[in-house]
Amino acid sequence: MIMKRLKNSAHIAALVLATLAPAGVAMAQETIATLRAGTPLAENAAPHAIAPVRNTDLRQVRNYPEQPPLIPHKTDGYQIDLNANQCLLCHSRTAIEISQAPMVSITHFMNRDNQFLASVTPRRYFCTQCHVPQAEARPLLENGFVDIDQVLEYVSGQEGN
Amino acid sequence: MLRLIKRTWGIILRPSVHYSLGFLTFGGFLMGIVFWGGFNTALEVTNTEAFCTSCHEMSDNVFEELKPTIHYSNRSGVRATCPDCHVPHEWSSKIARKMQASKEVWGKIFGTINTREKFLNHRLSLAQNEWARLEANNSLECRNCHSAESMDITRQSPRAAEAHERFLFTGEKTCISCHKGIAHELPNMGQALLSPSAVHGN
Amino acid sequence: MVAITRRDMIKAQAVAAAAAAAGLPIPAAAQNLVTDAEITDLKWSKAACRFCGTGCSIMVATKAGRVVATHGDAEAEVNRGLNCVKGYFLSKIMYGQDRLTQPLLRKRDGEFHKDGDFEPVSWDEAFDIMAEKWKATLKAKGPKGIGMFGSGQWTVWEGYAASKLMKAGFRSNNIDPNARHCMASAVGGFMRTFGIDEPMGCYDDFEHADAFVLWGSNMAEMHPILWTRIADRRFSNPHVKVAVLSTFKHRSFDLADIPGIFTPQTDMVLLNAIANYIIQNDAVNKDFVSKHVNFRKGETDIGYGLRDEHPLQQAAANPNSGKSDPISFEEFAEFVSEYTLEKAEEMSGVPIATIEKIAKLYADPNTKVMSLWTMGVNQHTRGVWTNNMLYNLHLLTGKISTPGNSPFSLTGQPSACGTAREVGTFSHRLPADMVVKNPEHRAYAEKIWKLPEGTVPDWNGAHAVVQNRKLKDGDINCYWVQVNNNMQAAPNMMEEGLPGYRNPDNFIVVSDAYPTVTAEAADLVLPTAMWVEKEGAYGNAERRTQFWHQLVDAPGVSKSDMWQLVEFSKRFTTEEVWPAEILDANPDYKGKTLFEVLYANGQVDAFPLEQTSKDYANHESEDFGFYIQKGLFEEYAAFGRGHAHDLAPFDTYHEVRGLRWPVVDGKETKWRFKEGSDPYVTPGSDFEFYGKKDGKAVIFALPYEPAPESPDEEYPFWLSTGRVLEHWHSGSMTQRVPELYKAVPDALCYMHPDDAKALGLRRGSAVKVSSRRGEIHTRVETRGRNKPPKGLVFIPWFDARQLINKVTLDATDPLSKQTDFKKCAIKIEALGA
Repeated sequence: MIMKRLKNSAHIAALVLATLAPAGVAMAQETIATLRAGTPLAENAAPHAIAPVRNTDLRQVRNYPEQPPLIPHKTDGYQIDLNANQCLLCHSRTAIEISQAPMVSITHFMNRDNQFLASVTPRRYFCTQCHVPQAEARPLLENGFVDIDQVLEYVSGQEGN
Repeated sequence: MLRLIKRTWGIILRPSVHYSLGFLTFGGFLMGIVFWGGFNTALEVTNTEAFCTSCHEMSDNVFEELKPTIHYSNRSGVRATCPDCHVPHEWSSKIARKMQASKEVWGKIFGTINTREKFLNHRLSLAQNEWARLEANNSLECRNCHSAESMDITRQSPRAAEAHERFLFTGEKTCISCHKGIAHELPNMGQALLSPSAVHGN
Repeated sequence: MVAITRRDMIKAQAVAAAAAAAGLPIPAAAQNLVTDAEITDLKWSKAACRFCGTGCSIMVATKAGRVVATHGDAEAEVNRGLNCVKGYFLSKIMYGQDRLTQPLLRKRDGEFHKDGDFEPVSWDEAFDIMAEKWKATLKAKGPKGIGMFGSGQWTVWEGYAASKLMKAGFRSNNIDPNARHCMASAVGGFMRTFGIDEPMGCYDDFEHADAFVLWGSNMAEMHPILWTRIADRRFSNPHVKVAVLSTFKHRSFDLADIPGIFTPQTDMVLLNAIANYIIQNDAVNKDFVSKHVNFRKGETDIGYGLRDEHPLQQAAANPNSGKSDPISFEEFAEFVSEYTLEKAEEMSGVPIATIEKIAKLYADPNTKVMSLWTMGVNQHTRGVWTNNMLYNLHLLTGKISTPGNSPFSLTGQPSACGTAREVGTFSHRLPADMVVKNPEHRAYAEKIWKLPEGTVPDWNGAHAVVQNRKLKDGDINCYWVQVNNNMQAAPNMMEEGLPGYRNPDNFIVVSDAYPTVTAEAADLVLPTAMWVEKEGAYGNAERRTQFWHQLVDAPGVSKSDMWQLVEFSKRFTTEEVWPAEILDANPDYKGKTLFEVLYANGQVDAFPLEQTSKDYANHESEDFGFYIQKGLFEEYAAFGRGHAHDLAPFDTYHEVRGLRWPVVDGKETKWRFKEGSDPYVTPGSDFEFYGKKDGKAVIFALPYEPAPESPDEEYPFWLSTGRVLEHWHSGSMTQRVPELYKAVPDALCYMHPDDAKALGLRRGSAVKVSSRRGEIHTRVETRGRNKPPKGLVFIPWFDARQLINKVTLDATDPLSKQTDFKKCAIKIEALGA
């Protein structure tokens, strides 16, 4: 069992290496702080322009089902406070017929003791603690996280061998 | 007192001895321009952002809240100032609104909302007044700038385009039905008892 | 259901692989439909979150050696299934493209060279050059010539192994954690008021309190899961009130019934004014105060922790003095009587009505109050005082140690409590709140460590800020940084930090998973296993100790911090590091390696490999040949057992969702110092603050004193630094998760629109932000989530391209030595003007 696990991880590692550009540091390098993109520590790079927020309304694939969905639209000035929650005005159970927006997940009706309440639990009231919009900006670096479907593919491949 | 009125009335009725008819007519005309112009100028002065925000009730509360919103600064640099949304542009309605404003002067003198707390306590009713006015006039002040006819929905985000097609163009809803709280913070909406679709921001 | 043929499925998988290779999302139509349980089953294991001090429990799914999913642990009391956005993306933090996979050494012509370029080397070569430098420095300068900078992100046993290697092995107390930047003032406050560290209450207080008062804290962004518990309490129970006090408006104000914006540093005025209000309105709990409290007056005018030659230090009457004298209640009442509500309003800018509302929450005997604070109070040149003054309010009213009555000091790092504080990795501390200056404490440590008398040095080591000064001055020449990014964190980078690391006399080693700003400033970079790539333990803000297993392997030849420390110890013999007099008096220790005397000492190596879990790998134990985590933990636990810091047996923690110490007879302690809930309280005493010899806590009379640097004509703005929800600390993990990066891509200068207008600036203007020490380039934000008042700007520190610590002032609290990152004077100019 352990042998099999090790074999699998070796293959996944190979997959990652194959799908990513070679990791940053292989040759002799003067600067290595990748996030600074070569600007020496004592100097200041020109600041990026403030990127606009993606506003396409197109939903993105979740990295795994437990991931909170990203917000595919602007939320500038949306009020979420003691007085009002402007997100719920489209995403609440009763609003979606008019708004045609996705309804808040049923987990959002559960209190600390996993009991369902009559409405959205206050512990989930502040939507932006988990859900965030996305700027139209290129990531500074790629991420080598491998989607479960690809992992399963390799696992199935192993089973077949 | 009564005698004073009678005497004044007498003076007004008595024909002029010293001035010609032409002078009086022309003078009256000129004075009319001066007074009318003065009145209008005064009216216009009270119809500016600077005037509205000259008292702290407005500058500390609603104006401060306006600053981070799209009606204060935006891509094309067209700012909606206070009267653009809150004072009717058509003359008789404007005068009517200005007469109503005397009540606000009263409020100012007696400090109805002279602290943040008092303002917050009144926020719901203040907001409801404006919502009711805009519901009643079919969001006239919104439409002074945003006409349905001029809207190119292909330039809008898909969800905005769809909502405008379903609700605005069909006349089912008016601007304020959905766009409450876009320029100032919303009052307690639990107390406002609105339908869930009532508000969605900009 | 549509039938899917085997051929379709193979095709779908091929598409998925192709899509991944191209970096594209998988189209919905190409989705896999595998139903075989043996294939789709994921292995779910628990772990503590890698980020803040809240200590959420996480469920981590692994498959084929990869982390494939994470979510909040529904069984954990802390978070009951919730995570913040960072926690939900934990799955991706280990997979940044630029993970370090091999040691890197600055070389020129095949040899180490301070100005060389980084070249990959083997562990042997890395340790060879390290040992050579360490030995040379120890020989030339003795133990004071070396130093180490660790972290509240070390696991419990990593911090313990490091502290032991430095304090007992190399006999140098020049070891400090980055918790110095974070929690040192909280520690100082606890020790001064209660004589024992860490909160008396726990997170259960959230469900019991009637009022919450945030002192300078922005929990909505910094402790989001604790914020969900406050939001739950507030919305579910309409009588509950939330007061939020800060120097600028932020997201926590969204839940504030009582908001207040105060002028920086005047939190001290507000605290004294509320104490005065409580006294004036006869709301003192006289019974509690007479039985359980002493009053003392502290020495004042204590300086600002700057270099000794700094004019402000020269001007101070009692630099660094923590002395105090006993006074009576009447004298205390007289002392605070000048802090009237009128004076408080005048100095702080908070309206009297607001202060009075908050004062009433404390004064009303029927309102259970929870006070909450973190960096606003701790990163403060009077941080210890301000902590003391917060406890004053709870002690005056007796609102302490009972459910819902809770002065609660929040923490910023996942194991600031569990490692930095409890293990005692500070330059003046030993485990279980003991200190190196106390001969009895040293003797106790030497006994547990089975080391000769006199091994542990009696001098306070250099703390974080002094370490950087000593590097610059060339007093410390060998320096090892583990699991933190201090070049991006420590204040006054241009005048102290960077010149210190790049001083040609110094050899700097940085252990990290990623090539950070600190790594770039180093000479040798060691690739390090992180989070669930090793077996670990963290301790959160409510004294809860949580364990996890190694769930996946680290990339390349990366090794954990603990492995690096223990492996390095093998390269030194006692003769090379201990003086002859100790060895002559204890000849048994001659000829042994530090590994043998510190780790293979019959205790740390007491547990055989067979005791490690059958279900999980444990590479460090496999390498050393014994269950090293268990050995280190059990030896460490011996310090606290029977001393009110009792930890449960090692194996228990792998079963439970953490336990709050002291764990006595298998039972955790929720409220300390209260009879009935704390087994250490003497029966019949009701309350007992047993950290103090007479069982009484201390109320301190302390005045307002101004900040070391305030805005003036040349530098007209206050600068406050801090965090944002989406990024954790220096961003070395979260900036590498694309979704988090895109949520908040860059640091911005949050400022009032009128201030921007007055400077001819607007949203998006590129600006130079400068202080007397350095400058950064950033852009103006006038519409963001933070809304500063006129005269103050907020710039977060997560952005490696905008190192705001070039601007910050290295003034510290003279008692806690913690930097004030919330106040210094800056100017803002259009870039290129």
